[in-house]
Amino acid sequence: MNCQTARQMMETNDPALEDHLRACPSCILRTQARYYEAPPGLEGRVRQSLRREIAPREPWRWMAIAASVLLAGSLAWNVALVRSGVDARQVLAASVLSAHIRSLAATHLLDVPSSDQHTVKPWFNGKLDFSPPVKFLAGFPLLGGRLDYFDGHPAAALIYGRNKHVINLFIWPSTPTAETEQTRNGYNMRTWSGSGMTFWAVSDLNATELRQFVSLYRQPD
Amino acid sequence: MSAFAIATVPRPARPGTIAMDPARKLSLFEQHVIPHLNAAYNLARWLTRDSHDAEDLVQESYLRAFRSFETFEGGDANDARAWLLTVVRNTCFTWLKRKGGQPTVEFDEQMHNAADASPDAESILVNQAALASLNTCVEALPLEFREVIVLRELEELSYKDISGIAGVPVGTVMSRLARGRARLRQCLAGALR
Repeated sequence: MNCQTARQMMETNDPALEDHLRACPSCILRTQARYYEAPPGLEGRVRQSLRREIAPREPWRWMAIAASVLLAGSLAWNVALVRSGVDARQVLAASVLSAHIRSLAATHLLDVPSSDQHTVKPWFNGKLDFSPPVKFLAGFPLLGGRLDYFDGHPAAALIYGRNKHVINLFIWPSTPTAETEQTRNGYNMRTWSGSGMTFWAVSDLNATELRQFVSLYRQPD
Repeated sequence: MSAFAIATVPRPARPGTIAMDPARKLSLFEQHVIPHLNAAYNLARWLTRDSHDAEDLVQESYLRAFRSFETFEGGDANDARAWLLTVVRNTCFTWLKRKGGQPTVEFDEQMHNAADASPDAESILVNQAALASLNTCVEALPLEFREVIVLRELEELSYKDISGIAGVPVGTVMSRLARGRARLRQCLAGALR
């Protein structure tokens, strides 16, 4: 008797089965240990991420050109600001806000439109050298993710919604920085750091709701 | 073309040749690698012991496998499964290492001998109460033993395939299997007391 016939005998309650199981510990595992089948939906997500992988890169080239022009412009602007003695943190806040506004103005809010954290998180793999925490937050649906660039680093942008408002959460690796809250041009911004990363949440949402968003996001899993 | 060729997975590309057409690569990959999703998930689930982490890692593994599909040397469905499981195994191990806290292999010879010396070890195994603890006992195995047990007993892979997946010699696979089974017996006997 081999394990395959033993497995078939499981169903018939054949007494010979017990003798075989006594002699063959492998069979016990083969017939009794749990085989975890892939949960429904996983195959769809895998196929989807493969499709994205082979999607034509043409728009990227165009966006890369646009991004380098913007980057060159913002570098020149930053140099000018640093020379003029403006606080570096305020310069960063201004560039985070610009990125937020740019993301809403252009048709480039989402690189990976998905409300599924298991789609968004793996999408960043291979694009960033860090792993941004993508969380499910009650009341603030996840809309998707995007790549951005700040302060000399590639950054992850997670986009969450709140009614008709959009929240950009920018994340990149950094040394710890102070936690602050500010309002610029009518937008509310909060920054904090943790696990070796800096976080900036920006939105036209009111300060109370943005605070609520941040505290939900910062709750340990 | 013989009937056997239908079950054969072609080699996606020879090294040094021009990269294959992405659409064709995807269709080959979907046809021959996606069908092993359950095996990939089962391995990731047993290695990580968490369904959420397993899902994320399976997705990541499939992307990695797709990106390096050219390195697959072709073969039958079993070869495709073993190749995919190598990627899953490495993705999980990298993740577990980064996460930290994974105990390294350290085997207590005394425990090993004690388990082997027990005369009714096998009869303990067929006891229904012990069977209920079987999954818990497999989960409790140190990673290196759990890995070979799952690949051998649940995936029914050959020693040679397991040796390739785990990156250790066949002799090590066999001794880890023996030790893993001994630990299981020990664990099940303990669960009954």
